[in-house]
Amino acid sequence: MKNVQSSNLTKLIILSLLGTISMILLLLNFPLPFLPSYLKVDFGEVPTLLAALIFSPMAGVVVQLIKNGLYLVVYGASDPVGVLANFIAGVTFVVPISMIYHRYKTNKSLVSGLVIGTIIMTISMGALNYFVLLPIYSVFMGWTNLTPTFLLNTILIGVVPFNIVKSIIVSALFIPLFIKLKPWIKQKQMSYSSR
Amino acid sequence: MASSLIIGQYVPEESVVHKLDPRTKIVMIFAFVIFVFFANNGWSYLWLTAFSIGAALSTKIKLRYIARGLKPVWFLIVFTFLLHLFVTREGDVLFDIIGFPIYTGALIQGVQISMRFFLLILVTSMLTLTTTPIEITDAIETLLHPLKKVKFPVHELALMMSISLRFIPTLMQETEKISKAQASRGVDFRTGPLKERIQAVVPLLVPLFVSAFKRAEELAMAMEARGYKGGEGRSKLRELEVRARDYLAVVVFILMIVGLFLLRDM
Repeated sequence: MKNVQSSNLTKLIILSLLGTISMILLLLNFPLPFLPSYLKVDFGEVPTLLAALIFSPMAGVVVQLIKNGLYLVVYGASDPVGVLANFIAGVTFVVPISMIYHRYKTNKSLVSGLVIGTIIMTISMGALNYFVLLPIYSVFMGWTNLTPTFLLNTILIGVVPFNIVKSIIVSALFIPLFIKLKPWIKQKQMSYSSR
Repeated sequence: MASSLIIGQYVPEESVVHKLDPRTKIVMIFAFVIFVFFANNGWSYLWLTAFSIGAALSTKIKLRYIARGLKPVWFLIVFTFLLHLFVTREGDVLFDIIGFPIYTGALIQGVQISMRFFLLILVTSMLTLTTTPIEITDAIETLLHPLKKVKFPVHELALMMSISLRFIPTLMQETEKISKAQASRGVDFRTGPLKERIQAVVPLLVPLFVSAFKRAEELAMAMEARGYKGGEGRSKLRELEVRARDYLAVVVFILMIVGLFLLRDM
């Protein structure tokens, strides 16, 4: 019934709308009580993860790109580094999870995917903060006297626990959500992979 | 409910800055962000500040709206200033605050760097204050046009961005509607331990995702029925056009940069 064109267009639009939902969820963020206020937890990764699990890891990356693009266009580029960090964190979290899930396709592989995704994301965000993000911030703010020890402490005390806690919260939401949606996801996958 | 539907920072006004081509604005703001780092003394900072405030005034947007956009970063600006005040040790000791000597060099550096930060935020926020998100998307699409040569899907991404933008208010309304419907069934989003609050989000997201897919299928069908077949040969409702005022704005901007470099040597 559906031709190739239509199925591709539908997919394109689905990813756009998931991007919209992702940005709306990004706005409903809340700070964690024991971490600095610029590190905020949100559920923006949930639609990204859903797209990656229904379609492909690349679909997740596209949703993540739309979400951050929307944020820049609507709220302005007053903190482009933060937006870049959010994008990379989402990609390094979602891509490993969906790759593992697409290989085994069981609930168990989703859970182990979430664990591995958390680890990969935490390590890469730590490295990225150390080598790129915090140095960029320090140039913009003129904090020229940041020592490597200070950077390392900031990352070990602030960034690493934040990323772990954030992933745990997102996972705690995503697992029951995914189990509930699974029959529906299967049906959607059938209708979009048949082309 | 109505207030939560107003998203973003755009403030509609009839000003020259609003009417400029969004591409002109994006390119100039990008250039400004780079040139701010060339300011090296009091006069050049004063010059950039005068230009930025002049530009902000010419948008005709009430200052209190502009200040609202700066609110989240006030803390960082003050923090940066204080950090420099207490840490830098250059020049003569100006005075003591409970045992902390304040140096003249520190005062100058603190003022300049927090000024630079303030200017960056003020000027970049001007784009979203005077340009609708859809205009920015159109501008980015044409600015990224050369990337088509390396097979980067510029048109598809721009289409996705426009669709996403169009559906922000719709889906926000829907989120609100579903959360009210679930609240009336006794779901509690706001109180209770973190674990319960997380689980309360599940019955909010399930209908949201399902209805988003339904909407997407309907929209795809509607677009197909109207003959959408990709970016090739597609005409536009909103055409971007470079006018005389854009050239004028660029000339003023270049004069400002020339002035900046002259003041650097003073």
